[in-house]
Amino acid sequence: MNLTIHPLIVLLFFPGGLFLLASGLVFQWADRKLVARFQNRVGPRFLQPLADVLKLLAKEEIIPEGAHRGLFVALPIIALAAALTAALYVPMFGVQPFFSFQGDLIVTIYLLSALTISLGLAGANSVDRFSLVGATRTLTQLFSYEAPFLLAVIGPALAAQSWQISKINAYAGETTWFIVAQPIGFLVALVGLMGKLELPPFDAPEAETEIVAGALTEYSGRGFALFRLSKDIELVIGLTLVAAFYLGGIANPLDFVLKTGGLLLVMALLQTAFARLRIDQTVGLWWRVGALMGLVQILAILAGIYIRQWWL
Amino acid sequence: MGLEVSTPWQQVLDKIRTWARVNSPWAIHFNSGSCNGCDIEILATLTPRYDVERFGIKLQGSPRHADVLICTGPVSLQAKDRLLRIYWQMPEPKFVIAVGSCGLSGGVFHGCYNIVHGIDEVLPVDVFVPGCPPRPEGIIYGVAVLLEALKSGKRPERTMTVELPAGFEMPQAEVRQ
Ligand code: SF4
Repeated sequence: MNLTIHPLIVLLFFPGGLFLLASGLVFQWADRKLVARFQNRVGPRFLQPLADVLKLLAKEEIIPEGAHRGLFVALPIIALAAALTAALYVPMFGVQPFFSFQGDLIVTIYLLSALTISLGLAGANSVDRFSLVGATRTLTQLFSYEAPFLLAVIGPALAAQSWQISKINAYAGETTWFIVAQPIGFLVALVGLMGKLELPPFDAPEAETEIVAGALTEYSGRGFALFRLSKDIELVIGLTLVAAFYLGGIANPLDFVLKTGGLLLVMALLQTAFARLRIDQTVGLWWRVGALMGLVQILAILAGIYIRQWWL
Repeated sequence: MGLEVSTPWQQVLDKIRTWARVNSPWAIHFNSGSCNGCDIEILATLTPRYDVERFGIKLQGSPRHADVLICTGPVSLQAKDRLLRIYWQMPEPKFVIAVGSCGLSGGVFHGCYNIVHGIDEVLPVDVFVPGCPPRPEGIIYGVAVLLEALKSGKRPERTMTVELPAGFEMPQAEVRQ
């Protein structure tokens, strides 16, 4: 679907800005509701995430002693900005991305990592021991899932011969779904996304039974609300990316809802089914299994490409 | 939360704020020397059977994220400073629910040499939930009473002066109506 809208509207309302924030809240609600249903609970009400965010925004923000004031205030904004910017290159809601250039896949992935890094910095910018342990774990996890996730995303990019998300998306829509052609890549991408979002079983960085709330322990009010919002938007972006690459592309809003919804269902099931891994188990899983599987997938794709060129 | 709530814009903002606050009470649980009976009941309240996420109630680990301090026990002299510390680490606006007979008056520990006899001796408590221990339904009802009071704009008066542990500075409290 191709639309021409004024860039300012794109940035502020649709599909950037407000619409993106709203969809982040909706996806957070859907995630919590699905997990609740899997646990045989009723689950939160539809407006619950909105109430949470508004309440946090209306609360006092305490800047703890020993933290760098400027950094403390700026990091949530940087995180949210990174998430919002990354969304502009992704085919959100089935609309063509408005800003698109050769290589925007790499930019998007870096922006999503910038979010995690500001989370880690937010934890490190504190004298609180729980924040520090949380920050260490956040960054350790970043180093473990990033490589396999990147490998998994490169698969479709290699097959489509492009580093441009919109081109890969279009290519994925024309051929057979990549989930059939590259099942290992899909698995790695999906589980990598869960690691990126720090969802259970990869929630060691914010394990509330051990380290209170991880890197965000000292954040209250506005800062916490912004970090939560950027996490929600990261969830939407991640789901859109994986759906666009592996589930046959996103061509229209209906596609978007069905495919990301289906992915969310699987992710909620995985969240409920598995218990939290220790941080060393997470790293081991990613480097011993995830990265190797990703590499095998890439090699298979490269071989496939060469064989095809040789034949034709 | 200014005193001069006059313009319609401010009234709308206040309505939204109250709505959000009533619909999303995040709790933190602190045991100030209780026998653990009440704490087990609080944990039972948080299980899927009672599913308090329906009301938006969520247990938070960090006092910085919490709105409601759910506190049990008669406040032993050991726990008193910690209780105050937790309380002052919470951002405004914050509310306190005292759960169990111990939190009300000292309960079975009444007359002991090493307790303060009740949470309201130390903190401004908004809701008391009696029982030894109270059932999960009782605890949920206590939270509902607090939310009801918030909705109608009332709030149990805070007339107490709170004693601060050494090294703590009182944050500038806002005037509320
Ligand atoms: S009220 Fe009863 S159950 Fe609760 S802490 Fe006191 S003695 Fe234990």
